[in-house]
Amino acid sequence: MASAAPVSAKPKIAVFSLTSCEGCSLAILELEDVLLDILGKFEIVNFREAMTERSWDIDIGFVDGAVSTPSDVEEVKMFREKCRVLVAMGACACTGGINTLKNYQNEEDYRKYVYGDKWKVFPTIPAQPCSAFVKVDYELPGCPMNKFEFAELAKCVLMGKPFRLPSEPVCVECKKKGNLCLYEKGLVCLGPVTRAGCGAICPTYGAKCEGCRGLVDKPNLQAAADNLTNLYGMKIEDVLAEFRLFGAYQKERIP
Amino acid sequence: MERVVTAKDLAALADDMLRAGRTVAGPVRRKERYFYEAVSRGADLAFDFNYCVYSPRSFFFPPGETLLTYSIGTNELNVAPEAPRTSPVIMGVHPCDCNAIGLLDAVFGSGVPDDHYLARRKDSVVVAVDCHGPCDPTAFCRDMGGNEAQEGFDVMLTPLNGGKGQAAERYLAAAATERGRELLAYNKVGKEPARADRDAAEKFREAKAANFSRRLPYAVEKLPAILDRSYNSLLWQVTAKRCYSCGSCNLVCPTCYCFTVKDVPDLSCASGKRVREWDGCQLQDFATVAGGHNFRPESSSRLRHRIFRKGKWIKEQQGRMGCVGCGRCDRACTAKISVVEIYTQLAEEA
Ligand code: SF4
Ligand code: SF4
Ligand code: SF4
Ligand code: SF4
Ligand code: SF4
Repeated sequence: MASAAPVSAKPKIAVFSLTSCEGCSLAILELEDVLLDILGKFEIVNFREAMTERSWDIDIGFVDGAVSTPSDVEEVKMFREKCRVLVAMGACACTGGINTLKNYQNEEDYRKYVYGDKWKVFPTIPAQPCSAFVKVDYELPGCPMNKFEFAELAKCVLMGKPFRLPSEPVCVECKKKGNLCLYEKGLVCLGPVTRAGCGAICPTYGAKCEGCRGLVDKPNLQAAADNLTNLYGMKIEDVLAEFRLFGAYQKERIP
Repeated sequence: MERVVTAKDLAALADDMLRAGRTVAGPVRRKERYFYEAVSRGADLAFDFNYCVYSPRSFFFPPGETLLTYSIGTNELNVAPEAPRTSPVIMGVHPCDCNAIGLLDAVFGSGVPDDHYLARRKDSVVVAVDCHGPCDPTAFCRDMGGNEAQEGFDVMLTPLNGGKGQAAERYLAAAATERGRELLAYNKVGKEPARADRDAAEKFREAKAANFSRRLPYAVEKLPAILDRSYNSLLWQVTAKRCYSCGSCNLVCPTCYCFTVKDVPDLSCASGKRVREWDGCQLQDFATVAGGHNFRPESSSRLRHRIFRKGKWIKEQQGRMGCVGCGRCDRACTAKISVVEIYTQLAEEA
């Protein structure tokens, strides 16, 4: 990983989108209270959601979205070239996100579904994370990414400190919140192997963690496969499907 | 000092404390389970409950707290320590959790005393309530000696009726400390106990002993020696295969007291705060030190560490068992790893 040494007096930042809902870019705009501070410290030179004037002299580029079409491939390569530091923002850019679900469907079917009768004009490739094509310096996982983590990364860049994602699983945040574990209510949750940082928001509202922030550093996936089948009576296909939602392109796989 | 109090008297006492400006907390029913929570009226407190999902430790040692704030001036560093202000009255604490508070008192009070913990504990009052019988099949408090409160409480409530699914309405309240006497003297709660009340309390204690069965096939005094012989057991690796290193077992444990300290600068980078947060020895990076070396990179070594802490090392350091047998770690472990089962299996091997 590149060091986050301050790149210039006022780092120039840019925000790009590939195939995604652009929800992560919008999350930056939601940072109202700190956004003004950030704006003061950085120079935003390229941001489709917020400006029309653009420049290509970029210190830190934030990209959301999966690489899902041939033109995405070209774009992500260009972003890499133009940006000294490239940050993948959100589940789609970090792991391919839910876009990867199409990789498990019939290609012609989903192209017709998305593009109707013009489906042949819109070429597509299996959805993949940015890191499948270019070197990514930092990842801000989650669907959408956590805007406070974005601010944290910005802070680290300013201070020249290395940025690190939390290494503990979602269960830690869930327990700190004082929640009743969903397993005690008969649900299956991916919290034990999913990287914390979202404040365990889904279990806090009663929904199981679907792993949108990706896996912890050394996930015990053998344990997940064994426990969910042996202790919770799941079929291995169902366990795989649970992990596929956000995890199709993660390095670690269910054995 | 002893008084006979009803559940209503206790609720009224809680209301008195609230009016006096105190923070009052205790078991509150949230759908299917009980949780320790601060209340705004005494009637919300439950004294007849099975168990609380979390122990009351967070009232003295919260999951996250600010230790100090700082700002960097032109030529100086300004540091302002943050002082905890609430010292709660906790009503409805079972014996296991009282003993756990006693252990935390010993740990945070010795060595370099922990100001933050001690400030919260200083004027706090703990009202214990005794258990009729095992709160849950996972409990093994009898084996650990956890179901007899030795310390960590100011008043003990012994149920005088109820039991077997019937809620108790009357309690014998016995003060164990000066703070406990002050609490019971406050507005002269309840009434003077009659002889029949003392007899009923005695009967409760006799019945209680019979209600708890043992789960450990040996006396707990043997546990440290059994662990001694088990350091190289294969069991650690075999069991760790199922373990996620998720730390849930640590975070629900009433006796776990490990924390991590972080500096959190503001975006200005010119000011910020130092916070501490709960940590847990099962987590991957728990034993990682500056420079990146991890003393316990294997989950099997972390699992063994936890079991040794609970069953041997804390006893050696603090003269009290590090595990009160509340069963919370068993319930919290989604991999169904059970300490009492580990203790049992090791004895069979050793
Ligand atoms: S609900 Fe999910 S995240 Fe929360 S403790 Fe249980 S398994 Fe972990
Ligand atoms: S709880 Fe899980 S699915 Fe929900 S935001 Fe967090 S990581 Fe994503
Ligand atoms: S709760 Fe269970 S799976 Fe999680 S760290 Fe503890 S023993 Fe391992
Ligand atoms: S180790 Fe488990 S049973 Fe023992 S005190 Fe902690 S949570 Fe309770
Ligand atoms: S573990 Fe034992 S002492 Fe603690 S609440 Fe349950 S029965 Fe009571």
